[in-house]
Amino acid sequence: MKKLNLLLILILFTSLFQLAEAQKSWDEIEYPPLNGFEKPDVEIFELDNGITFYLVEDVELPLINLRVLVRTGGVLVANEKTGLQSIAGTVMRSGGTTSISGDALNELLEDRAARMETGIGLTSGSASMNVLKDDFDDLLPVFIDLLQNPAFPEDRIDLAKTQQKSGITRRNDETIPIGIREFQKLIYGNESVYARNTEIETVDNITREDLVDFHARSFVGENMMIGVIGDFNAEEIKPILSDAFSAIPAGDPLELEFPEINYEYENTINFVDKRDVNQSFVMLGHIGGTRENPDYAKLQVMNRILSDGFSGRLMRIVRSQMGLAYSVFGQYGSNNFYPGMFYAGVMTQSETTAEAINAILDQIRRLQEEPVSEQELSDVIDRFLNSLVFEYDSRASVLNERMSYDYAGLDPDTFNQLVEEIQAVTIEDVQEVAQEYLRPDMLHILVVGNGEEIGDQLDQYGEVNEVDISIPMPGDDEEVVAGDAAGGSEWINRMASAVLPGGSIDGDFVFEATNIIYTPQGEMNLEIKQTANFETETMISEVQTPMALVTMKIEDGQGTMTMGGNEMPMPPAQRDQVMAEFYRSHVYLSINKDNLDVEYLGMQEMDNETYAHIRVNDEITLNLYLDPETALPMITTYRQFDPQSGGNVTVKMVSSDWREADGVMVPYETSVYSDDSMVSLTTITTHSVE
Amino acid sequence: MSRKIKSTIRLLLGIMLMPLALTAQNLEAFEENVTEFTLDNGLHFIIVERPVAPVASFVTFVNVGGVDEPAGHTGIAHIFEHMVFKGSKTVGTTNWEEEQENIDLMDEAYRAWLEEKYQPEPDQEMMAQHWADFEKYQEKANSYVKTNEFDEIVSREGATGLNASTGYDFTNYFYSLPQNKAELWFNLEADRFKNPVFREFYEEKDVIMEERRMGVDSDPFGRLREEFGSIAFTAHPYGRSLIGWPSDIEATTIQDTEQFFRTYYTNDNFTFAIVGDVDPDEMRELAETYFGDIQSTHDAPTLKTQEPEQRGERRFTIEEESQPILFIGYHTVSQTHPDYAALQTLSAILSQGRTSRMYKTLVQDEELALAAQTAVGYPGTKYQNMFIAFGLPNQEVDIDDLEEAMYVEIEKVKEGDITQQELDRAITNARANLVRSLNSNMGLAVRLAQTQGQQGDWRRLFTRIGDLQNVTLDDLQRVANQYLVAQNRTVGKIINRSSEDVAEAQQEN
Repeated sequence: MKKLNLLLILILFTSLFQLAEAQKSWDEIEYPPLNGFEKPDVEIFELDNGITFYLVEDVELPLINLRVLVRTGGVLVANEKTGLQSIAGTVMRSGGTTSISGDALNELLEDRAARMETGIGLTSGSASMNVLKDDFDDLLPVFIDLLQNPAFPEDRIDLAKTQQKSGITRRNDETIPIGIREFQKLIYGNESVYARNTEIETVDNITREDLVDFHARSFVGENMMIGVIGDFNAEEIKPILSDAFSAIPAGDPLELEFPEINYEYENTINFVDKRDVNQSFVMLGHIGGTRENPDYAKLQVMNRILSDGFSGRLMRIVRSQMGLAYSVFGQYGSNNFYPGMFYAGVMTQSETTAEAINAILDQIRRLQEEPVSEQELSDVIDRFLNSLVFEYDSRASVLNERMSYDYAGLDPDTFNQLVEEIQAVTIEDVQEVAQEYLRPDMLHILVVGNGEEIGDQLDQYGEVNEVDISIPMPGDDEEVVAGDAAGGSEWINRMASAVLPGGSIDGDFVFEATNIIYTPQGEMNLEIKQTANFETETMISEVQTPMALVTMKIEDGQGTMTMGGNEMPMPPAQRDQVMAEFYRSHVYLSINKDNLDVEYLGMQEMDNETYAHIRVNDEITLNLYLDPETALPMITTYRQFDPQSGGNVTVKMVSSDWREADGVMVPYETSVYSDDSMVSLTTITTHSVE
Repeated sequence: MSRKIKSTIRLLLGIMLMPLALTAQNLEAFEENVTEFTLDNGLHFIIVERPVAPVASFVTFVNVGGVDEPAGHTGIAHIFEHMVFKGSKTVGTTNWEEEQENIDLMDEAYRAWLEEKYQPEPDQEMMAQHWADFEKYQEKANSYVKTNEFDEIVSREGATGLNASTGYDFTNYFYSLPQNKAELWFNLEADRFKNPVFREFYEEKDVIMEERRMGVDSDPFGRLREEFGSIAFTAHPYGRSLIGWPSDIEATTIQDTEQFFRTYYTNDNFTFAIVGDVDPDEMRELAETYFGDIQSTHDAPTLKTQEPEQRGERRFTIEEESQPILFIGYHTVSQTHPDYAALQTLSAILSQGRTSRMYKTLVQDEELALAAQTAVGYPGTKYQNMFIAFGLPNQEVDIDDLEEAMYVEIEKVKEGDITQQELDRAITNARANLVRSLNSNMGLAVRLAQTQGQQGDWRRLFTRIGDLQNVTLDDLQRVANQYLVAQNRTVGKIINRSSEDVAEAQQEN
């Protein structure tokens, strides 16, 4: 027994000992050589109509993937139709062809789990077909039809436009899209093709002809490169492809012109106030470079020292050591067709916005001021060289790289050259390119965040430029007729005398009223007491609603709302609305008559009465219809954007039952209409000046 | 050409397609490349040979997640996940013993500060003292730290895609390496789970708070979903905040996190998958060498809470600056329940692809929605989960109209207005999606490990297609009538604050 136990113990001890022996320290591991790898061949041939084919066989799965890369892009589109290429790309697919409707095409494809998609971006367009191998022969003619004969029906164009517009109204809901969009504008310019916004107006300007033209110019043989990968034999599929695609006309090759960027370095600090967040999104930087730059390899090394997954300095310091961010990044961008951007960015809580910005600036300066360490440099080069296998970790990656190099006019050997060059980069090189290409003293800084929480942190970067990101709503469609300024002046003076018989008032203008609001859900009854001072431009409104008493206050351009004891700041949009009403009031207009731009447009009949029509030209144009005898403003109209209907409406105020007290004439009954539909009735109970 | 196209298309449209019998063939072919083994200590490995390129992807799946968190510590599963990247006793430090001493003292000081903070009348001086101690030991501990050394080691050897993810019912850790570096993965992976060190813990909690601000506090959809979970679920932890409520994140200490790790990171909860250009025998040897000596003292506890039946519809509305978002959910079943396949198919028919009911009607024809999507398995799949419907109304569309329109589509299914063609189409697409997913090492490794880890058999990834094939039109109608009912649903909305005000602001002087 004892002997057996001893034996067992010995065996156990030995095996554990062996295990411990075999378990090395990570830095003692000896790696076997890498398995051999044969880069798949890309078979290339050209048709007479200019189409170039790239084929790669891949028998692993029973699929065939065909992708047409088209030389076209948004860069061809004029500013007033921004978004055209995107809609063309969408409707090309959604609208079906002249032989098959969009719905029928969808069913045909989805019954077979087949995919066909089209899209057009800024610098290129694409059409792709991804099908099970057995369906390829049947579906290829359908794909060719899609390329050549898209129907662009009005209903699908309308749908695409509706979706674009909905997207536009949602573009301010998250900080990142706002930040990227506005930052690009700072670098490239608001009107630049590289940064311009798609707006509701530009979408409305796009016609069916525009789309048809754009497609016809772009999707021709001379502009096409087609990549095919999948379960086929290259020799067998060649004739099938040639036969099918020869039907596409050669057309004329499109030249994409990329406008020059006349960049001027400057220091700016820009802020977008977004009150519903507790974290700032920061982007900072300046113009970058292009791929052809001979310093490209050195810049890539510099980039990876700054930011490379978890390994770069930004992550290590700003995130892991300082705990300031989950997301922090930066790189000197080199684009193919036009200069990229040098940018760095971070998302950090409002309170540490400046601290994070300064931490990033420190790291940028460090690249210029200190040589990088030998360890850092060799790590970057090791990371790059040891992950080379991943450049071609799928057969598709070989195909994609070749096509994108050809499209960009780069040598097919470009990547190999890059590998050589990166290995040769020195410590001096990194510091030199950092000094030459980075300008930490001349940056655009953009912050999207909560102004109340951020406070004055940004003042240290200079005079803060507040960026207005409000979405431009469709331009007013009212016709502008020139009027008579002298007549306008005369009539506004008469109106002022009528509304304020004793001249200007001193003190607060107070009134109490009941207000019925007509909504689709029913009537709502409110009681209002309002105190306004037209000199100091302050106002307090106490509104008794069925639910609660709400107090709104405007003072020094700031608004607050109080309900149930809770006070909160008035959202800027609402404050603007309240102030706009303030400036429209007859009393305000009368007091400020001398500062108004007023035109007389003649006697006009409205609702079976004749009025003197004057127009006040201000931020919102007001049309006042004055009683020819009393000069009281009986009707006031103006145009306003209504978010609920998504368009502009005409608001009409009808004032009657005028009574005087304390030197002010006030209409005791006011009806308000929105596009001729009654929305409210206000009945005043008392008014006074205190 | 046009005539030829037209006649081809007419021919194709007329064909009623027989579903292709791919899956059985796929599984057989696939199985030939799979080697599975379990070490004596219970650790399970799945190896798949896929020598397309000399690379391999490595996944460590742990059958633990947000649902396993103790009360008062939501977010702890995710916090621990972050800690796994901080190295070990040998990686990431110049002197572990010294470092650990200071880490322990630092955590002790933090716990004392925390306790004082939550006293009815906190002693400010004591708090300041504890905090001073905390910072002192934190600085000392940090003096031994080699930040991000784990990442640097693997990246230097060519690792890509280094990351991890935490869900309600899973946590996984993954990266890819050149195939000849496989031993490095075994070495470091075993090490970081055998010898975790909670370094830079409090800095990392700050990072996680930023992650929270980014994904939840400052994002409309994140806010809506966090709110939705807490209202839709009453008992089951699927309703908790996955990233963690801010007060819980603050209150979680190293001691708590280590406790969580020891309780749940047990051998029975681990599944490993390696896919790529690898030799299964070599992998086995390495597994024995590096993982063979890991012993667990127990099997991990299992969750027993079941969500009680909902008694009535729940609704909530958030008024804010953002544009409207609609989020609806119905309680249903777990992924192993017989009705799950029918629910998945129902979701596909309702919203997958351009031929789906909701896309065709709500997005395309009626232009009510910018987007209309359904899904099952929300927010996890292992336990009784939800069938959700999500919608973004178009610019001038009332969100209530969109909600009603979605119910109209659901009603149609309940009344049996669904076709065999739609059912076949859903299954064909599920099958094709599976086929398409087989050409990614990492994708395969993640899915295999999770399926094995949660359901006990990776083959379910393939055989579940068989379950879908058994779904009938009657099944679809039945599950719609059974689960998609008002009393079983929660409806959450974001509406835009100023659109409300337009109606009210028509008060003139």
